[in-house]
Amino acid sequence: MTSVSRRLTAVTVVVMAGALAAALTAPPDRLQGNLQRLMYVHVPAAWLAYLSFAITLGASAGWLWKRRASLDRLASASAEVGVFFTGLTIALGSIWGKPVWGVWWTWDPRLVTTAMMFFVYLGYLALRRATLDATVRARRSAVFGVLAFAQIPVVHMSVVWWRAVHQPPTVLKPAAPTIDEWMLAALLLNVLAFTLVYVLLLRTRVRLAVAEETYDAAHDRAAGELAGQAITTPDYRKEFPNHV
Amino acid sequence: MTPPGPARQALELARKDLLLEGRAGETLLVTAPFGGVALLLFPLAIGTDVPLLRSVGYGIYWVVVLLFGVLVSLRQSAADTPAQVALLRLTGVHPVVRLTGRAAANALLLLAFELTLLPVAVMIYDPPLDSWPWLLAVLPLVAAGLAVLGTLAGALAQGLAGRTTLGPLLVVPLALPLLLSATQVAEAVRYGREPWSWVALLLLVDVVAALAVALFARSLEEFS
Repeated sequence: MTSVSRRLTAVTVVVMAGALAAALTAPPDRLQGNLQRLMYVHVPAAWLAYLSFAITLGASAGWLWKRRASLDRLASASAEVGVFFTGLTIALGSIWGKPVWGVWWTWDPRLVTTAMMFFVYLGYLALRRATLDATVRARRSAVFGVLAFAQIPVVHMSVVWWRAVHQPPTVLKPAAPTIDEWMLAALLLNVLAFTLVYVLLLRTRVRLAVAEETYDAAHDRAAGELAGQAITTPDYRKEFPNHV
Repeated sequence: MTPPGPARQALELARKDLLLEGRAGETLLVTAPFGGVALLLFPLAIGTDVPLLRSVGYGIYWVVVLLFGVLVSLRQSAADTPAQVALLRLTGVHPVVRLTGRAAANALLLLAFELTLLPVAVMIYDPPLDSWPWLLAVLPLVAAGLAVLGTLAGALAQGLAGRTTLGPLLVVPLALPLLLSATQVAEAVRYGREPWSWVALLLLVDVVAALAVALFARSLEEFS
């Protein structure tokens, strides 16, 4: 582990501990009580899903422009982490929804569009897995990474465009946030903590991708050497010494 | 001899795809009957409650169009052999023109597919037909959007081993606004509202998908 990784891990652990303390000591919601504390994980997870896919968009567009392998790794790693956080958002939303709405799942536009976003990026990962050639994989997934982002504004604005059971934005909206100051502070601290977790996961995944590529290159080289050794050029001077 | 312009090239490529489809007849002789079977299966699964089926019939029709239409829009791309793709590249036709030709052929096939299934859905479900004039706009717009998205997905999955299963996974979630708009048009008419905003959304999806073809066709067609 490098010194940067060690420091990043230490900072993340400290901020996570602070965020956990803030989430547990923040005032409970007047109507939902302690159940509302799920917000301190649900909202950061949703924010990170957006951030991950935005990074995938930026890195994909960057790859199409610069053709750097590092941008492809970044786009792919961010999409993987984003799919994880989208899944977490849906699962936590479902756990929160059962006691509040009375159902695990409801046909709310925010829920449906989030689920669709999850499947769009699963498609992105499936496309990467199905493409064996590294350059073709990078190119096709970069195009899809740009296209797929069209869903994100729809997911975020769905609660504004179609009013249903999911509450509209509380923090990320044109007007001032409609939330208690302590709750907002705890929420922002949790967003920061989860963002650090995201950076840590992203960094680890990118390094893993580099290690995978190095291993594959070494494997290909070894296979190449074997094939070369199997066929040797006949030495006519040895076999036919008297031949002129 | 002057080479044909891009529009002419796209038309010729679309004609080629339609000719091949005319020989194979897969869309209207295989996929459309399969879609008809799907329309028959829904009442068997959810019950033969006639008022319920009347109210959900329109939505079921569009779900079947979306799921089976994806097969139609991906069929030609999946059937292309590497030699055919290489030959088209060697002819010097611009990638945007190639994808436009394919999308145009797919749009026509999808429209034919929609029109074939529509009377079947009306017969089986007997949905309220008060929104029928809007279908004149909705049917071609959905066909065009699905065709362009399918063409893009076909190009993305070209030559891959799992392209027939991967393609639908790429298209269907992105085609959600098409399904939503198509069904909401009928809903809006039923409640006495003007469905223009939903038609505009359909048009927007079509325009964005067409722009994506124009922007990314070259990147997708490059040699590795």
